[in-house]
Parts: sequence; C-alpha cells; structure tokens
Amino acid sequence: MDSPLNNAGFGQTAMEHIDALYGYAMVLTRDTTEAEDLVQETYVRAASAANRPEDESNLKAWLFVIMRNAWLNQIRHKNSGPRFVDLETGEPPTVEVHENPHVVYLRKLEREQVREAIESLPDAYREIVILRDIEGFTYQEIATVLDCPAGTVMSRLGRARGKLRKLLSAWQTKTRIRAV
Amino acid sequence: MKNCDDIRGRLTLYLDDELRGEERAAVEAHLSECETCAAIFARELNFLNAVRESAPLHVAPPELRARIQKLLRVSGVAAAESRPRRASRLNWLVAAAAALLVLALPFVVWRMVRQAHTPVVRQPSSFALMAAGNHLRHVRGQLPLETESENAQQISAWFLNKVNFSVQLPNYQESSGQEKLYTLEGARLVGYQNDYAAYVAYRMKERPISLVVTSASVATPSGGEEIPARGLVFHYNAIDGLKVLTWSDRGLTYALVSDLEERGQQSCIVCHQGAKDQDFIEPLKPH
Repeated sequence: MDSPLNNAGFGQTAMEHIDALYGYAMVLTRDTTEAEDLVQETYVRAASAANRPEDESNLKAWLFVIMRNAWLNQIRHKNSGPRFVDLETGEPPTVEVHENPHVVYLRKLEREQVREAIESLPDAYREIVILRDIEGFTYQEIATVLDCPAGTVMSRLGRARGKLRKLLSAWQTKTRIRAV
Repeated sequence: MKNCDDIRGRLTLYLDDELRGEERAAVEAHLSECETCAAIFARELNFLNAVRESAPLHVAPPELRARIQKLLRVSGVAAAESRPRRASRLNWLVAAAAALLVLALPFVVWRMVRQAHTPVVRQPSSFALMAAGNHLRHVRGQLPLETESENAQQISAWFLNKVNFSVQLPNYQESSGQEKLYTLEGARLVGYQNDYAAYVAYRMKERPISLVVTSASVATPSGGEEIPARGLVFHYNAIDGLKVLTWSDRGLTYALVSDLEERGQQSCIVCHQGAKDQDFIEPLKPH
C-alpha cells in the first residue's frame, strides 16, 4: 500500500531538496565526492523507506534526518566517531545588547565574505547555522534532525551566531584598516 | 509592560519566528515603544539578513542531479524533472502572460472584497517579513539596486537567467490610461529560502514601494487579513508600520510593500487610479 505521500509526490518533492541536501552533505563531510555519495545514499534510503512523512511539508526535515543517520553510520564503520565536538559550555548567550559598531557594517559585506565566515565556523556551529539560517528549519525540526533537545538547539545557535558575528566583525575591521 | 531585559532575552526567538500569541504580541508592543530595544532588534535583523542572503552555499552538480533522477526512476519512484536553475524559454513565455497581472491584481482584490467579508488576522508569513525587511533596508540605503531603469521591459530582461522563474513587469499605467503616478526605479536579487528572489523598487511621489517575487514552491503566503478573490487569496499585513500584501498566482508568489496610509484593499486605490478604474474606485473613497 502506498504511503500518504505517494511515489509520484515523493519523487517530485524529493528532487526539489537536492541542493539543500548536497549543501548539508558538504557541511557533514567537507568533501565533494563524499558529499555526492552521501546524497545518493540518502535518496536510496528514502526511496525504499516505508515510513515516509504524511505530507510534503515534513519531507525536507525527514530527508535531513536520513542523511545525518547515514553519515553517522559511515563514521561508526570507520571507527573514528563523529568529528563534531560538543561545544556546549557556559551560559547560552542572548542577543548582544551592547553597541557593536562592526555589526552596523555587516550590511556592506559581500555574500562571499559571509559564506567564507560560515565555512570557517567549527563543524557543530556551521551545521546549526546552515540548518536554521540557510535552510530555515524551526528549532523543533533542527532538534529532530540533530536528535537533541530544543534547548540545546537554542543555546548552540546562540553561540554559533556569536562566533559568526566575531568572524565577520574581524573581517570588516581588517577591510577598514586596509582601506585607510 | 515587559521590561527591556525580558524582551531582549526573547528577541532571538522572535527573529526566528518561534514566538506565538501573547509572547509575540508582547515583543512587538515593546519594540514599538522602546527605541533602544528597537535599535538592537534592527541590528540583529541586519545581521541575520546578511547571513540568510548568503544562501545558497552549495548547489548540487548536474551529474549528481541526473544520477539521483535515474536512481529514483529505477527505484520505481516517478522523479519529476527537477526545477532548472535557469529559466527556460518555455517557462518565460508561459509565466510572462501570468505575470502581466502582477500589479493589476490588487485592484481586482479590492473590487471583490467590497462584498461582505470578515477578515481573519494571523501572523505574517516569513516571505512577508522578508519583503518588509528588505523594503526597510532599501529605504535606509542599505540595499542598493543592482540595475536602475524606469523601463519595465529592461528590468524584466535583467532578471532573465538570474532567477529560476520568470519576471515580467507590466506597464499598468499605460494600459489603464492613468497619469504616471509611480515610477520604476530598478531591481536587484535578494536571498530567500536558499535561493534568490526578485526585488523591484518603485517610487510614488517620493515614497518607496517594493515588489518582491519568488517561486510559489519557495514561498506560500499566509497570515494577516485574508482577502479571497477569484480563486486567489490575498494576505494583508501591517509590519513595522508598513503595508504588506502577499499573494500567489500561477507558480509565483508576490509581496507588495509600501508605507502608504491606506490599509488593506484600499491601498489598491493608490496605484490604480486610471480613468478606466473610476467606476470601481469612487465607492471606496471616504465620504
């Protein structure tokens, strides 16, 4: 018996997420060949899965869960353990309330500098910024993908954005110094 | 009233659209009254917009795309051709006809809602918020146009091969016989949901108007005051003092942003004052 999201609907919608899945695979593997293999494995698993989500709106997060589990399996087989480290230390920051003039200049940053800053984040921070700010997942969806409490999502996201702010501010400062 | 510390502790949740109901309303009420917190909110919004506009970071190679499509076919899953990254000639022609109604549709909406309708007010969609945010950034000089022209055809042509949908701007004023009430200024790309959306800037008597267009598969209008008309549903929101009207039609989703005083369907009057529209407009004017 077909699942609520039938084959035709699955095929159409699943292909719409290929860029997002490839992007996430690059976050996990940092290697184009490994990323392509991971995307392929994700689609293989998804196509044969019996527990497809009931509607299209849940398909993207479900595919991301499959991809992350597939990646974790690969890591276990390599006996090296996940490369992501636990970055949850100290109190989660809230929005920075102090005057930070560098933030004002962020609007002038070219997309490329922002991308470079995201790519240079520690893996766990990069992953959560991609999931929230690039892919637009809700906290609960991210918690499902990462298999962690929503509170952890919030605190990790706060730290990741704080780190990203510093990276972009530092870049802006260097640019301004060079311009003088 | 909530104090500043309470609100600042919730700003991230508000910006991430994780607050609902009274909690969300409390933040919005405080931001409208507290300039200090509003300034912090604006800085954080600028930062997040800069991050979000960096998307997409990666695009799947064509070979991988083809391999997955083949894999799904072999698996018995009917994989439709994925959306091309560039607009095809066929898409252009089909969408052009639909898009000719872009700016005329709000007028149609207004006419239809003269019939009794009880509005349902809900939170604005992320697309409406994005459009309002970009409108504000443009007004503040933080979102420069990438191409400047008063010619609708030139702007439409500029978007060709830059977005994966077709943008065809109508010259409504010429077709309606009205005086030139607004002028086209230019356009640029803006980031939304891992892709580019089309941003078009207009000006009416020195007041800016923004039109943001993206694929309906990327953005679904929701929230606000719902105004159904001829099989479409228009969503009217007041966001940060701006009037935002969003709707989807034939594969595209639109957001029209302005700071005009008129609210809801009455804002349609402003742009649609052509001679041919007078019989529709007169009953709406205040008596």
